[in-house]
Amino acid sequence: MSAPSHDAGSGRMRITLKIWRQEGPNRPGKVETHFLPDVSPHMSFLEMLDVLNERLIASGLDTVAFDHDCREGICGACSLVIDGRAHGPEALTTACQLHMRHYSDGDTIHVEPFRANAFPVLKDLMVDRSAFDRIISAGGFVSSPTGSAPDGNAILVPKPDADRAMDAAACIGCGACAAACPNASAMLFVAAKVAHLALLPQGQPERERRALAMVHAMDEEGFGSCTNHFECMAACPKGISVESIARMNRDFALSFLKEAPDLPTGSSVG
Amino acid sequence: MSRFGKALASSVGKKIVMGLSGLMLLGFLVEHLHGNLKLIEDPSGAAFDDYVGFLKSFGPLLVLAEIGLGLLFSAHVYLAFRLTLENIQARKQRYVVRNNRGASTVGSVSMFYTGAIILGYLLKHLIDFRLDPRFFDAPHAAVQAKLSQPGHAAVYLLAAIVLGIHLSHGFRSAFQSLGLSHPRWNPLLERLGKFVAFLFAVGFAAFPMYYLFIRER
Ligand code: HEM
Ligand code: SF4
Ligand code: FES
Repeated sequence: MSAPSHDAGSGRMRITLKIWRQEGPNRPGKVETHFLPDVSPHMSFLEMLDVLNERLIASGLDTVAFDHDCREGICGACSLVIDGRAHGPEALTTACQLHMRHYSDGDTIHVEPFRANAFPVLKDLMVDRSAFDRIISAGGFVSSPTGSAPDGNAILVPKPDADRAMDAAACIGCGACAAACPNASAMLFVAAKVAHLALLPQGQPERERRALAMVHAMDEEGFGSCTNHFECMAACPKGISVESIARMNRDFALSFLKEAPDLPTGSSVG
Repeated sequence: MSRFGKALASSVGKKIVMGLSGLMLLGFLVEHLHGNLKLIEDPSGAAFDDYVGFLKSFGPLLVLAEIGLGLLFSAHVYLAFRLTLENIQARKQRYVVRNNRGASTVGSVSMFYTGAIILGYLLKHLIDFRLDPRFFDAPHAAVQAKLSQPGHAAVYLLAAIVLGIHLSHGFRSAFQSLGLSHPRWNPLLERLGKFVAFLFAVGFAAFPMYYLFIRER
């Protein structure tokens, strides 16, 4: 990506897109080239794809499938690998929050889906990330009896703990960590979810069982294992730290040294 | 599988064994380097010969320690192959264009290759000395005879550098795998890892250099 050369107000850009097209799961895919003559620097990356899709519809062609929902960087639905980087070139930015002003007239941009066996491609740029849901249902919860609302201050949480739990809770479950990991490991996501609950008093009763159950669930989905490249942290749009991975490893090591109750089999949310 | 076995076979369990075995091998290398330094301390070679004699005097205990070391190596190497294969297979469909963000390093991406070179070197090293029945008659003379040949010395030199590259990632990585991490200490650990890597590379490179260039033949 070169320094933007358009004049920031009106300059329209010619952009060449090299987009991964794949008809369905387990089908062969290929890179398809599309040319957009008139991209505004004010557009978001996804709006540019919208424009492309409108042109495809107008020509009677199949649109490019891609995931998106909030388009404001909070839901974790968007999942593009742009020029070889999950969520694109900007740090701490989801693909939906990436704007075309970061590109220049004449640029060629490669767009691919997140790649990992555990994230099978559904169509084009859209992948199935339900593996993350299954990992969450293995342990990413606290069990508490329902009833009347508890008093807000009944459980005291020290401010530093609340802050660190909140930092971990910032994970939007997008999967960029696994997409960026050279080993397709989902450790950063799982660790963020484990750390988030392990840092709070409400998470203590199930703390060790949670670390074990979620790691086993992650392994069953076919993610790779962590070799500490830390590419995940560099790619994470929410700045989740590998510190949480160390915390999870610690909980995991302690929990298999201790005699803990049997692992829950599957989801026990109720 | 037992709970313990299942935990050990998990991705995190394997990494814990990897980290522990790596650090224990490093512990062995500290003693190995310390022993080797006697080659340079005392150019007559008597100190080194005494040290080898001292080790030999442990008899069956030495054999036991060597078996332990062998098991440690085997665990590390077995898991190295398994983890590397599993990690390659975790992404069958590769990216057409892939760009890292500069977090991975020469050391981190080459762990398997540097490890494999160390393994190959280790076999040569064992054949050169430990498995050669004549070695124990005159240890220092055997070392001198080998390392003053440029071809052999070059292999030893290369292995020392490769070990340094392995440790430039491995040292810090092992602490992370074992869950030993703290925002205050991590930057220090990072630098300590590079320092340890440098120390071992230079330390073990010293011997072939010494016999090639410094020592009168
Ligand atoms: C004296 C010899 C050796 C020492 C001191 C050593 C040390 C280490 C250390 C400290 C780690 C970091 C562990 C972690 O990240 O948790 C490591 C990782 C690794 N070692 Fe070694 N190692 C040695 C020999 C070998 C050999 C012979 C191989 C053979 C292939 C090997 C392959 C690997 C691999 C592939 C990793 C990365 C594994 C992963 O992160 O999943 N190492 N080593
Ligand atoms: S840890 Fe970061 S990259 Fe991974 S799923 Fe959560 S928000 Fe996305
Ligand atoms: S679409 Fe919601 S985070 Fe990008």
